[in-house]
Amino acid sequence: MKTKKLVFTAILTAFALIAFYIESAIPPVTPIYGVKLGLANVFTLFALYALNPYCAAGVLFIRIVLGSIFAGLGVAFIYSLVGGVASFTLMLLLKRFFKEDKIWVLSVLCAIVHNIAQLLTAVIIMESWQILYYLPVLIVSGIIAGAFTGICAQIVFVRLKKYIGKFNR
Amino acid sequence: MKNRVWIIIFSAVLLICLGAWIFVTNFNFSTNIVGIYQDNRLVKTIDLNSVTEETEINLSSEKGNNTILVSNGHIRMKYADCPDKICVKHGDLTESGTPIICLPHKVIIQFENPNSDVDAVAGAE
Ligand SMILES: [Zn+2]
Repeated sequence: MKTKKLVFTAILTAFALIAFYIESAIPPVTPIYGVKLGLANVFTLFALYALNPYCAAGVLFIRIVLGSIFAGLGVAFIYSLVGGVASFTLMLLLKRFFKEDKIWVLSVLCAIVHNIAQLLTAVIIMESWQILYYLPVLIVSGIIAGAFTGICAQIVFVRLKKYIGKFNR
Repeated sequence: MKNRVWIIIFSAVLLICLGAWIFVTNFNFSTNIVGIYQDNRLVKTIDLNSVTEETEINLSSEKGNNTILVSNGHIRMKYADCPDKICVKHGDLTESGTPIICLPHKVIIQFENPNSDVDAVAGAE
């Protein structure tokens, strides 16, 4: 069973990497990298609900490291990592409150925290409080993008649940 | 909580943020003094109103190059060799709102406190 999970995690990571890579080709809208869809997050959420937290952590952090190397984004890596750690921590803490019909809610909350964490990183690195002007845009973007990716993960999870059950037994 | 409750909560936050965004972009600094920072160091302070002729300011570091264009009342990033080019697309630094940021090169152009010291006027050097 362990091998199956490992393979499944690897496949999800590969999908997440593809999504991340495609999305990185679209130029960002704001200087703080929060305004984007975050399609790769669909796979992290799915791994969290379908497999376990370790697999989800694997999907997320391997994707961030490899994705940053492939896309050759220097500074973006630090921001991705901080956003990833912040949102994943929240995801682990709150997961038990959100059953499979509320994956989208967890996704929105994580997306908002992801963006706020990136914004605060920029404030600290650039030492300018004026960067906080981007806060409202980043929260709006987090709600919309988080709802979209959360609904995607939720639909896929609910549809595939009966097959996944066999996996975890 | 029901899905509907969450939808209402998120919609409310969304509206508040849109309102805040409109407020921020219409907020007036009532200053024409602009500071240019590179690597968290203040490189130059300019009073946009006393600029007489168009001037380019070149900033270079091991991170990359940025060219800032200053003219009477206006300042913008004219050129940058950063990967995202957001700083260039930002256009003019408007009297209200968001600073011009080049995240990859750690360059930021923002309005300053009206009481800050101003360098020699660009163009008169
Ligand atoms: Zn730039």
